[in-house]
Amino acid sequence: MAVEPHARPVAQRAWEPALGWRSCQRLLLLAITALAFVYGWRVTRIDLGELVTKVGLIRPLVRDLVRPEILERVPVTQTAAASVSLSGPPPEEVPSAGPRLRLSTRAVRMGQRVQVVGEGFGPDRPGELLWEDQSGAQAKLTDLRTDPQGRFSLWIRIPDTIGTTGRILVRVYLPQTTWRPSETLRLVAERMVETVFLALMGTAMGVAFALPLSFLGARNLAHGPVGATVYFATRTVLNILRSIEPLILATVFAVWVGIGPFAGVLALGVHSLASLGKLYSEAIESIDPGPIEAITATGASWLQVVRYAVIPQIVPQFIAFTIYRWDINVRMSTVIGFVGGGGIGFLLQQYINLLLWQRVATAVWAITLVVAAMDYLSARVREKIT
Amino acid sequence: MPEPILRVERLTKIYPGGVQALRDVSFEVQRGEFLVIVGLSGSGKSTLLRCINRLVEPTSGRIYVDGVDVTALDPEGLRRLRREIGMIFQQFNLVKRLDVLTNVLCGRLGYVPPVWSLVNYWPPEVRHRALQSLERVGIRDKAYVRADQLSGGQQQRVGIARALMQEPKIILADEPVASLDPATSHSVLRYVEELNRKEGITVLCSLHFLSLARRYGTRAIALREGRIVFDGHPAEIDERRFREIYGEDAVEVEIA
Repeated sequence: MAVEPHARPVAQRAWEPALGWRSCQRLLLLAITALAFVYGWRVTRIDLGELVTKVGLIRPLVRDLVRPEILERVPVTQTAAASVSLSGPPPEEVPSAGPRLRLSTRAVRMGQRVQVVGEGFGPDRPGELLWEDQSGAQAKLTDLRTDPQGRFSLWIRIPDTIGTTGRILVRVYLPQTTWRPSETLRLVAERMVETVFLALMGTAMGVAFALPLSFLGARNLAHGPVGATVYFATRTVLNILRSIEPLILATVFAVWVGIGPFAGVLALGVHSLASLGKLYSEAIESIDPGPIEAITATGASWLQVVRYAVIPQIVPQFIAFTIYRWDINVRMSTVIGFVGGGGIGFLLQQYINLLLWQRVATAVWAITLVVAAMDYLSARVREKIT
Repeated sequence: MPEPILRVERLTKIYPGGVQALRDVSFEVQRGEFLVIVGLSGSGKSTLLRCINRLVEPTSGRIYVDGVDVTALDPEGLRRLRREIGMIFQQFNLVKRLDVLTNVLCGRLGYVPPVWSLVNYWPPEVRHRALQSLERVGIRDKAYVRADQLSGGQQQRVGIARALMQEPKIILADEPVASLDPATSHSVLRYVEELNRKEGITVLCSLHFLSLARRYGTRAIALREGRIVFDGHPAEIDERRFREIYGEDAVEVEIA
């Protein structure tokens, strides 16, 4: 076994291979990176060509996205009604101006034939006669068409019905049409309000729990072994909670309390409390320790020190963080419905599943507008307080 | 000889990092003294002052304030002790976002019922006393101004008014004028001196400038690397002693 008689100078030995090893390392790193990207490209099935070849599939969606269902066109109608009695004396006739109905008799039996005469409607227009029973349920009796004088006259049979009174209604469609907010818009607006309040309640819940926790989770306020234990426990719980995505939390709470906005509030609340707790604690840790020392030196208790030396220093930051969280929660609340958290997301998901792209567009536009408005509002508030 | 208001016995402080800030420091302070503590930065002046009201926990040794062993106090006893020891700081340590009056009222936190103070309610006589304290330091008109709107000298006077609210037996002043210009330094120290002379409050004050020490102190101790290297009248610190305290290369700078 040969023993190297003269070891080369240590410095040289250490230096020379180091240079080669370094460039080797770099090449290796480069190769690994390249491999990772090649594999990533394959495993995620990236195919840029599809963006062009399958453009036909997205076209109806894009087309509908710019045509949200906001208003719907409905014909202007003229209506009139006449009440009848199925037992006893006929009800008093209420004279009315404009379109009106007259009946040959107003004390009727089921199956009896009655003449209905209408006057004062639009000339030569289609319409329909309806029967409304005592409970308010309506059933179509027949179609009709007015004559050039705006009148019609026809015989009908009183249908089998319940109750002791009923009404005969007429609806005549005029050539003019009018716009009114669509049913989709009404639904979307209703859910949007729910969404905004979902974000509000979630944020409020987060703040309510994060406020006291943040004082326990601030290192500069933790004294002694008890303080240190509480500090670590608080921080650990916050870290664990924060690592769970709100969407997963919402799924869990939807199982727990049922699908609906309450599950969403809980999910946003828990996530907000975890993230605000951390932000608040760090705000407390970054305050000027001087006033704490000074107030402590006056013989103040821990609570008094917090009240007079800590809180005045953290209020602006706390407000800023809360608004920031509110921003996130408004955004989050729009999608939390996808996993059963209530709000606009629930509706949006249904529309998407039914491929109702125009309704999807309505919801998407509503979300965009509300989120933008909230963004603007919170920016203004933040300007004011800082 | 009467019971000294403060007796420090073999006080030693070693910080967790291993820095030995105080080594076996012993001295006594008589009632009504204006004791100036001098020494280089890092010589242990701040640590010494903070050990007296236990803002810093001593590693070993005993401290007696009015015969009471400070180092043996439970938290409640410590709070009672602290409220009788006023403290003013180099950086003033006011709560900047609160108004001056509230800052002064904070000096009374150890006395008022805790629940009242937590909802920021102060009895009228306490508010009156706070305004009087501000009057004494000449800034009564600034009572409702936010603390960070004041100049350095004014802020330090608020600090003095806050300490005054405690009706202290002792005032600990940690470099109270180190952040101030010479003229303001004198005006601030004159207020401290007045409390010392008229109210008989014992003052322990660390200072950088020997000229200020000679002007205001009735006695001086000097620290070097955590040890007392001089104890006597400030006027006795001559050229030779000065070099002992501040090192061979030091040159004394005068403050007007």
